[in-house]
Amino acid sequence: MTSKTMWLLGRLMHRHRGGLKLSSFVRSASCTAEGAVAPPVDSSVTAEQAVRLWAQHFTLHGISEPLLSSQYIIAHVLGRKTLDGVDRRRLKDPLTDTERVSVWKLCTKRLTSMPVQYVIQEWDFRDLTLKMKPPVFIPRPETEELVGLVLEDLRLIRGESYGTDLRCLEVGCGSGAISLSLLHSIPQLRVLALDQSQAAVCLTRENANRLGLQDKLEVQHLDVMGDTDALLSKCGPVHFLVSNPPYLLTQEMQSLQTEILRFEDHAALDGGLDGLSVIRSILVLASKLLKERGRVYLEVAPCHPPVIRQMIEETMPGLLYLETRCDLTNRRKKVKQV
Amino acid sequence: MSSLLLRILYGFSPPLHRQLFKWPFVLAAGKKDLIDLPVLNEEDLEEQFVRGSGPGGQATNKTSNCVVLKHTPTGIVVKTRSVTHNRKLARDILREKLEVEYKGEESELLRRQNESIQRKQVKRRKVNENIEKKRRFKETLNAEDFGFKSQEP
Repeated sequence: MTSKTMWLLGRLMHRHRGGLKLSSFVRSASCTAEGAVAPPVDSSVTAEQAVRLWAQHFTLHGISEPLLSSQYIIAHVLGRKTLDGVDRRRLKDPLTDTERVSVWKLCTKRLTSMPVQYVIQEWDFRDLTLKMKPPVFIPRPETEELVGLVLEDLRLIRGESYGTDLRCLEVGCGSGAISLSLLHSIPQLRVLALDQSQAAVCLTRENANRLGLQDKLEVQHLDVMGDTDALLSKCGPVHFLVSNPPYLLTQEMQSLQTEILRFEDHAALDGGLDGLSVIRSILVLASKLLKERGRVYLEVAPCHPPVIRQMIEETMPGLLYLETRCDLTNRRKKVKQV
Repeated sequence: MSSLLLRILYGFSPPLHRQLFKWPFVLAAGKKDLIDLPVLNEEDLEEQFVRGSGPGGQATNKTSNCVVLKHTPTGIVVKTRSVTHNRKLARDILREKLEVEYKGEESELLRRQNESIQRKQVKRRKVNENIEKKRRFKETLNAEDFGFKSQEP
């Protein structure tokens, strides 16, 4: 351990109200892979104190969202989603030995810049709580809006109860967020979900089982950029197709935050030079798979809509570009039709 | 009406100032047997969508995106981990928090009442013990007197 770390830990010990001794520090310190050391702890740390202690420690090590990370992790150990879900008095009680060990273990993982969602192995997407496992892509809040748009659009076309017999294809299901969200809202929906990652296929199946939706969802390990005929033989015609495909430009990949670069599947993010390589394949598939008047809903990068419109008009006669919708941060979602 | 309910439920009469801060209570059957949940007024609620900074989309992984549901009279807050949430569920959680907040104060009061009762009991016991001691001492004195007297010819 460097003298700088010793100095920093010394400062932490002084600030910690518990009045820690050096001996307890030596007993309970643990190291991460990078050499970042967890702060020392005595046996009577309260939940509140642990939140502050770890928030300080995350800040010290340049971990993003230090206070939020600390709050989410400790709330999770205490059986809640957020810290305000924990009883106010409980926060002032000392953590049990089991809780304390758990908090220290999980927060130490966060010290490696592991995303909070992977640390606590779950996250919420719309109404659902989904299991999260690296390197399967963590659903983004913008995609929650995409699902909202799809539901709204379907109600417009097919009526308030979405009509009868609805079939959907999702490309790149990841943790299953989009498919499971749709299935949760539309009882008569049946979904086929594809992902080129076996880990994603497994996780989607696991989440489907946890939510009791496994009978309505088929998950297949397939690459949409692979052989189209093979794909078509496995997928029947569908009423609509939905996807949050990798849409980042390759050059954008290197400037991503550590959490993403180090832990999430790059194949779920990298859309090639123009960010459109996977999108292109999806649209080609859509033109062959969609029923009459079927729709494609895609989340794409802000620069994509005009390029995609042109691509469709020029090279895909079977498709008609319908609409671009923006989310609250002005990223685009799109809607197309056969 | 509600102050009567409170008497039945808690077995004591809440002080006057607490009666000014009443909730309309609804008895609801649930997992915790019969629990009373406060009724929420939508005018007392504030819903805010919190958005994290940064480009957003796939390029960002932020956990700061959430919905905050606030009960303005008490400042009690319920937060979500998603940007679209189950509105009913969030309100149910808020009602539970309000119930604990209110009951929490009541049980604080109960605790303090119990403590003062216990203190009085201990005091009374001590007083009784002292009386008992004095009585026994007096008895032994009387007995000695008797004994002494009986030994006289």
